[in-house]
Amino acid sequence: MSHDSHHDPVACKTELAPERSDLGLIRPDRTTGWTDWLTTVDHKKIGILYGAFAMFYFLVGGVEALAIRTQLARPDNDFITARMYNQLFTMHGTTMIFLGVMPLSAAFFNFLVPLQIGARDVAFPRLNAFSLWTFVFGAFVLNASWLFEFAHLAGWLNSFDWHKALVYTDFAPANGWFSYAPLSGTFGQNGQALRFTGVGTDFWIIGIQVLGIASLAASFNFICTIINMRAKGMTMMRLPVFTWMTLITAILIILAFPAITVALIELMFDRAFGANFFNPSAGGQPVLWQHLFWIFGHPEVYILVLPAMGIVSEILPTFSGKALFGYPIIVFSGAVIGFLGFAVWSHHMFTTGLGPVPTAAFSLLTMAIAVPTGVKIFNWLGTIWGGRVRFTPPMVLSLGFIWMFMCGGFSGVMHSSAPADSQQQDSYFVIAHFHYVLLGGVLLGLMAGLYFWFPKIFGRMPNAPIAYLASGMVILGFNLAFGPMHYLGLAGMPRRTHTYHAGNGWETWNYVATIGAYILGAGVFLAFANLAWTAFKGKKCSSDPWGGRTLEWSLPSPVPEYNFAQAPIVATRDAYFEDRHGGKRIAYENDGGEAGVHMPSQSWMPLVASTGFLFAGFGMPMMAMGVPHAGWIVITGLGVLILGIWLWAVEGPGGYMLKTPAAAGSPAPAETVAH
Amino acid sequence: MSETADAHDAPTSTGIDHKKLIMWLFLASDCMFFGTLISTHLLYRKLYPSGFTDAEGHQRFIQNLFNIELTSFSTFILLMSSFLMALAVSAMHKGEIKSFRRNVLGVIFFGLIFLGCQVFEFTHFYHQGLTIQNSVLGSTFYVLTGTHGTHVAIGVLWLILMYFYSFTGKLGGHMGALDVEVAGLYWHFVDIVWIIIFTAVYLVEYLGPNGFWGTGLPAVTK
Ligand code: HEM
Ligand SMILES: [Cu+2]
Repeated sequence: MSHDSHHDPVACKTELAPERSDLGLIRPDRTTGWTDWLTTVDHKKIGILYGAFAMFYFLVGGVEALAIRTQLARPDNDFITARMYNQLFTMHGTTMIFLGVMPLSAAFFNFLVPLQIGARDVAFPRLNAFSLWTFVFGAFVLNASWLFEFAHLAGWLNSFDWHKALVYTDFAPANGWFSYAPLSGTFGQNGQALRFTGVGTDFWIIGIQVLGIASLAASFNFICTIINMRAKGMTMMRLPVFTWMTLITAILIILAFPAITVALIELMFDRAFGANFFNPSAGGQPVLWQHLFWIFGHPEVYILVLPAMGIVSEILPTFSGKALFGYPIIVFSGAVIGFLGFAVWSHHMFTTGLGPVPTAAFSLLTMAIAVPTGVKIFNWLGTIWGGRVRFTPPMVLSLGFIWMFMCGGFSGVMHSSAPADSQQQDSYFVIAHFHYVLLGGVLLGLMAGLYFWFPKIFGRMPNAPIAYLASGMVILGFNLAFGPMHYLGLAGMPRRTHTYHAGNGWETWNYVATIGAYILGAGVFLAFANLAWTAFKGKKCSSDPWGGRTLEWSLPSPVPEYNFAQAPIVATRDAYFEDRHGGKRIAYENDGGEAGVHMPSQSWMPLVASTGFLFAGFGMPMMAMGVPHAGWIVITGLGVLILGIWLWAVEGPGGYMLKTPAAAGSPAPAETVAH
Repeated sequence: MSETADAHDAPTSTGIDHKKLIMWLFLASDCMFFGTLISTHLLYRKLYPSGFTDAEGHQRFIQNLFNIELTSFSTFILLMSSFLMALAVSAMHKGEIKSFRRNVLGVIFFGLIFLGCQVFEFTHFYHQGLTIQNSVLGSTFYVLTGTHGTHVAIGVLWLILMYFYSFTGKLGGHMGALDVEVAGLYWHFVDIVWIIIFTAVYLVEYLGPNGFWGTGLPAVTK
């Protein structure tokens, strides 16, 4: 097509002659600095941005958690009000799940998947940028509710008439991360739309909705990329496990998110337009919200954990000096977990009185899902078994992952028994369970991934002593904080209560938990600070400091814009490792070189289109609460969105040719390697 | 309108174009989306089979409300639009841009008729006393069919833009045909969803003497 013949190949994009898009605007290709980051379509830069935002929100969520723990350190404490407490635990959970774990996983998807499959980009580079900015604005909207809360506490809003409409109980979301109806919904007959909670809930609804759009768009893109853009010879059963887990996660996202999308639309209609989906006074069934939420919510917990499992499955073989034990079984059990994940949602609802048959069925299915999870753990152990183990920081964190995650699995299986769960539900025992899987599991896995791939991303090595110290603090602090909660829960301490009276026997362990939480918080902060320092100042390292196994380690660090100077052809799983140790397993196509490789042009349009969500996200809650004219902000937002997408469509993909180091071409590799 | 990095030169691993694949993925996701909405409606129909109470406090049955002839007509129109869409896609593949334009105009026209019928139906139902606020039935009915209507409207908008874009001469060749085919996939899907909605929301109300949900009107009278 015409657009890529505009230019001769260039060695660096800043040498490009000005090119106009089909629209007549100059494309932001030659830019550096801020403009470059805002308009980038490079999956590596997008990954770094995802990672930076995610780490920031981890710290925000961490501060919220420490405020909660400070309040609970002592009985009858009044460090924060009950009202504030509700907002804190809700925003803590929502932040950690949607703004911490999911985007940090997305950071790894972005950075690694194209490199691991031997591709030069994702299938839809501009859509990828759109996902990123939509996530960023969704996160802004969700957290903007805090601005209103603080402005309200400071009394700045009092002079506005519409302030009264906004004041209910809270400005930041306060219904818990699953926002159960009817608390999040309405009551009263025929469109009176009386609400239990304030504008925070509307911020939550629209925020999660926007974040869902970002996740969906990214998932479509990654499934396409993985299925369609594999290098020659990269069959599905040669894909690195991380890429496999990304694929399964993305499939879970596209099938699970629609349930919450619909639930959020219904709740929004209840609150903003007086519909009756969950309004108990008009015949709505609040329990429907629970079903819809958990049909999304349980797959969601696997959306959170599978990427971390993939990361660990890359790290363990590297530092055990062995191939992953039972690769096909790990992949298959990942798929089974994904599949069964859709059939267990009601284990979150045992106490709603489902009836004996459903309760028994969901109980059994939940027990069944522990089987593929256990299979994975045994495979990881098999990988380490008999290996020459190197205890590098990523390895230490991965071992921590296995151990902590396993504990979380044990308490999970305990929940699967409905009679036992009816004692544990809504107690600190559940908090202990999901923090062992989410924090001890997912966060440790993601941190392991950060320490493992940082040298590849920035070409610099994180400081090891600090990394060990931080890992130790995280694991120790974590167990101190959450281990006792098993006991507290079984001793009857309820979840989501802002304080407790002395004399229940809960004082000691709460105090210990708070100390643990501070150690944990300091550890995470130290680990992140170490990484941030590494990104700019760390010691330079070689392109393959760990003796990696997969294709990304064959590239220079930092990875050049075009990824592969010549497209690779692989003959086996773990081709890079086998190629260095067992004869020729990678060849290169005769492309690139002086002729250059095709690069997609940068664009403003994804950013412009996603700004629409910012408007809609601010306008929607105001509109629901009856602030005059707020509906126009929403309409403006939709207009901006449609305009952005239209401009994006007609500007064309553009593109230019980038020279790469000389093309050599090399003979085809030997066909297979025995495993 | 092409989006992919190098869709026109790099063959994909599976041989399926990126755009077609991503549209299929979107449709899979949209299946779950409509599945959830339709389930909500059916669950509440089962729970409250006897319709709704209008503003004057009269009990109203859904069969009194529906104008099944009109809805059958608009369903037929939507089906025919799918037929025209198929013709448009095949015209594009043969490079017959004029025939493409003619057929796409037909699709747009039929789509607009369908939307017109829906607007009429909504206002009619509203005057009959069914509102989004006065009953669960109103909420589920309007949100479900309205969401489908939004899908149709987006499709119409997409095709209108494509129609005008075709005059710039840039909608041609393999990529142009692909773009049209992807729009066609979307259109057919939206059509199929309507067939399901028409069956599950409208037709079943007329099954058996009491309607599918048991306590509808004894005999369907107008
Ligand atoms: C062996 C596998 C697992 C089993 C059998 C299991 C079982 C359960 C059950 C039955 C509950 C409901 C407890 C209650 O509310 O009374 C629960 C809650 C929860 N689980 Fe798991 N689980 C497993 C793994 C995971 C994983 C991998 C994650 C996330 C990475 C996770 C995250 C959660 C969360 C966030 C909750 C709490 C939801 C809430 O706020 O109520 N679980 N689990
Ligand atoms: Cu679950």
